[in-house]
Parts: sequence; structure tokens; C-alpha cells
Amino acid sequence: MMNSIMRNKGKFFVILFWILAWEIGSLIIDQEIYLPSPHAAFSALINLLTSEETYITIFYSTYRTLAGFFLSCLSGIMLGIVCGIRKPLYDLFNPLIIIMRTVPVMSIIIIAIMWFKDNNVPIFVAFLMCFPIIWTNTVTGIRSTDVKLLEMCQVYKIKKLRVIKSVYLYSSLPYIQAGMISALGIGWKVTSAAEVLSLPKYSIGRFLYDSKVYLEIPDLFAWTIIIISLSFLFEGLLKFIFRSGDQHD
Amino acid sequence: MIKLVHAGKKFDDLVLLKDFNISFEKNKITCLFGPSGVGKTTIANIVAGIVPLDEGLVEGVDNSLFSYVFQEPRLLKWYSVYENMDFVLKDVYKDEKRVKIIDTYLEMVELSQYKNYKIDALSGGMAQRVSLARAFAYPSHILIMDEPFKGFDFKLKNEMISLFKRMWKTSQRTVIFITHDVEEAIDLSHMIYTLKNRPVEIIDIIIVNNNREEIKNKLLSL
Repeated sequence: MMNSIMRNKGKFFVILFWILAWEIGSLIIDQEIYLPSPHAAFSALINLLTSEETYITIFYSTYRTLAGFFLSCLSGIMLGIVCGIRKPLYDLFNPLIIIMRTVPVMSIIIIAIMWFKDNNVPIFVAFLMCFPIIWTNTVTGIRSTDVKLLEMCQVYKIKKLRVIKSVYLYSSLPYIQAGMISALGIGWKVTSAAEVLSLPKYSIGRFLYDSKVYLEIPDLFAWTIIIISLSFLFEGLLKFIFRSGDQHD
Repeated sequence: MIKLVHAGKKFDDLVLLKDFNISFEKNKITCLFGPSGVGKTTIANIVAGIVPLDEGLVEGVDNSLFSYVFQEPRLLKWYSVYENMDFVLKDVYKDEKRVKIIDTYLEMVELSQYKNYKIDALSGGMAQRVSLARAFAYPSHILIMDEPFKGFDFKLKNEMISLFKRMWKTSQRTVIFITHDVEEAIDLSHMIYTLKNRPVEIIDIIIVNNNREEIKNKLLSL
């Protein structure tokens, strides 16, 4: 108890230090358009939080991020499992995944704008960016499965589907969870980026874009703070779900 | 009778079996005794169908079910003791019967009160007892034991051996028992094959009787 209070106290001072550094930086630069003061950013934030539109915007952006994230989890885990077990399938898909991993986000966003309605562009982009992470982690996890346990399953003639569920999946769970956590963080970033270019009606990206056009830099900072907070919130939620899952087993 | 006939097996350039013949009597405990790396496990794995033969054939194992007690317990550590038993029996027994059988065998290895424990919470000896219960609860015709008591201290080993004997008496089946421990071999087996060389050869076939000292000297002189 005492320890955690001390640690939180430490964290608090670290945050305070960096906000102070920000304040001093903005005082030295003294031009809101380059670096607004923390005070300006936070009052812009409070201003945003009093508007209903902000919450609708947050809701839609969250929906897009999570939709892309869940799609990539579902397909990444399923495809990762079969590719992890069957080497020829891995060889077939690996080049595609490598390309997905190296193609610049911007190219994908622009192509997606040509293909989809503006609302779905960020979902598709988030999916495409998260999928390789989940897939790679799942494959690594499946391959880390103890061969000795698989031999045991072979002796006792356990059906393949049950081996996948009870042995492969549990063995790779830590890898899949780590992959999901990093994919979710990236999901928030690329969703906002895709929103800036595709400009769906309700989206954080559109507000980021507007703040650039109208030179409302404190707003830009305020929206950025919102994205960071959302990202932290959902990462915490995900970790909480994983932890309570572990305890239930 | 289970037989390997003119068996040949190579791993890359390493010739492990060449024109090798051996037989295992039904419902008896046969021991493969010999130094590490001679190919005892390979012989057992060939009988169990885990390792395919390059030449020759395995007779008398058609439609046989196998169970295995490995050197390590090989349990699923994310499951409880009960769930580990359930995992191998699920495709074999219907729900009610399965519950009964698992309870019976956990009782035999004196782990009834631990049935909801996770594997991580068990000692090495307890985990190996679960592995033994799993092997006997599974309706196998042939049970392979690959140095299952290795690394146990004297007392624990003796407990495990008498436990195994009790279980085998109530639920007899063909056992292939692999060891390089003289006492274990004599205590458990009806018959001992002593193996040596590469490719592996049968040096001696010993029928275990009351003349322990003589057998012991024979095994030690190898």
C-alpha cells in the first residue's frame, strides 16, 4: 500500500516535471502557433469536453479503431494459427504479410480512399496495419508450443481441433496478448491518420485537419490529448480483461 | 505378442536399428535396459507409432491404443489435475462414465483432494502421479514408461514403484518399461532385455525370478 502510494507520488512528479518543461518551452518560444502553453491546450480541452459533438466524434472514432482492431484480431489469430501449424501455408502468406508491414501507411490510406466510402477507410487502414502484428505474434506463439506436449497428444490420439484449442492456443496466448496490446496502440494512431485524409463526418481526424486549416493549434493539442487518453484507457481495459481471464482459468 | 520384425531405422547417417527383432508379451511388463542413447526410446516410439520405420514391420499393434508415461509429466499447466485427465479421456468415454473413471484413478494415486489444483501448484512427484493416473485411466492396450522415475529420490521412487505395481494389478496391460536403473528394472519387470551397441543389439534376455542378486550382477556387469 505504502509502496504504491510512493510510486504514484513519483509518477505524479514525473508528469508535473514534463508539463513544467512544456510550459517553459512555450514561454521561451512565445508563439501559440508553434507551441501553445499547457494552459491554452487544457482550456481548449475543457472547452471541447463541454460540447456534445466532441462525444459523438469520440464515439465514432473509437468505433472505427475498435472495428479495425477486432477485424485484425479475428483474422490475424485464425490465419496465424493455421500458418503456425502448417509450414507451406506460412510460406504462402509470409511474403504478403511482409509487404503489408513495409508499405507506407499513407499509400494504403490513399488507395483505401479510392476503394471505400470515407467512413470505412480508417477501419480498413487500421485493420491492415494491425493484422501483420497479430499474425506474426500468433505464428511465433504457435511455434513456441512444446513439441513434447504435442507428442503426448499424438499418443493419446487427441482430435486436432481439441489440440488447437487446448494446447496451441494456450501456449501462444502470451504472444497473442502482447500482439493485441501493441496493435491496439498502433490502431489509434493510424485511424486518426486515415481520418485526417479521408475526413469522415464525425471523426477526430477531421478536427485535427480543421485545427490545422484554421490555425487553432491549442485545439490540435487538445484532440491529441484526447487520442492519447483514449489509447491509454483502452490499453488498460485490454490488460484488465487479460488479467481477469488469467485468474479465471 | 507384439513384435518388431527386421526393423531398420536411420536418423540421417546414424543407423540406430538394423535388422532388429524383439517381442513383447501381452499383459506382461517388459523392460528395455541399457545405456542412454542406445535407442530404447526409439524402439518404444516405433511400437507406439510415433516414429515410422524405414524397414521391417511392427506386428500385433493393429487397433491398439497406447498410453505413455514420459520422463517429464507432460501435463497442460494451464489446466487443473482433473481437466488434464479429462483432456485425454474426452473422446473415449461419455460424460458420466468419464467423471467416475477420473475420480477412481485420482483416488488410486491419492490425489483426489488436489483435483482442482493447477499443475504448477503440484510437486514433481505429484505431477508424475497425475501422469501415471492419466496413463492407466486411458483404456490403452499398451503402456510405455520411459524412465518415469528418473531424478526422484530413493524414497519417492519406491513409493512410485509400489503405486505402479498396485495400479498394474487392478488394470493389467502390456507394459514396455525403459530404464537404466538396475533396482527399478528388477523390481518392476517380468522380463528384461539388455541392449547395447550401435546399431542396437540384444545382449541378454533375463526372466526375472527370485534370484535378485544374480540378476543384479548380470545387469551391473554390462
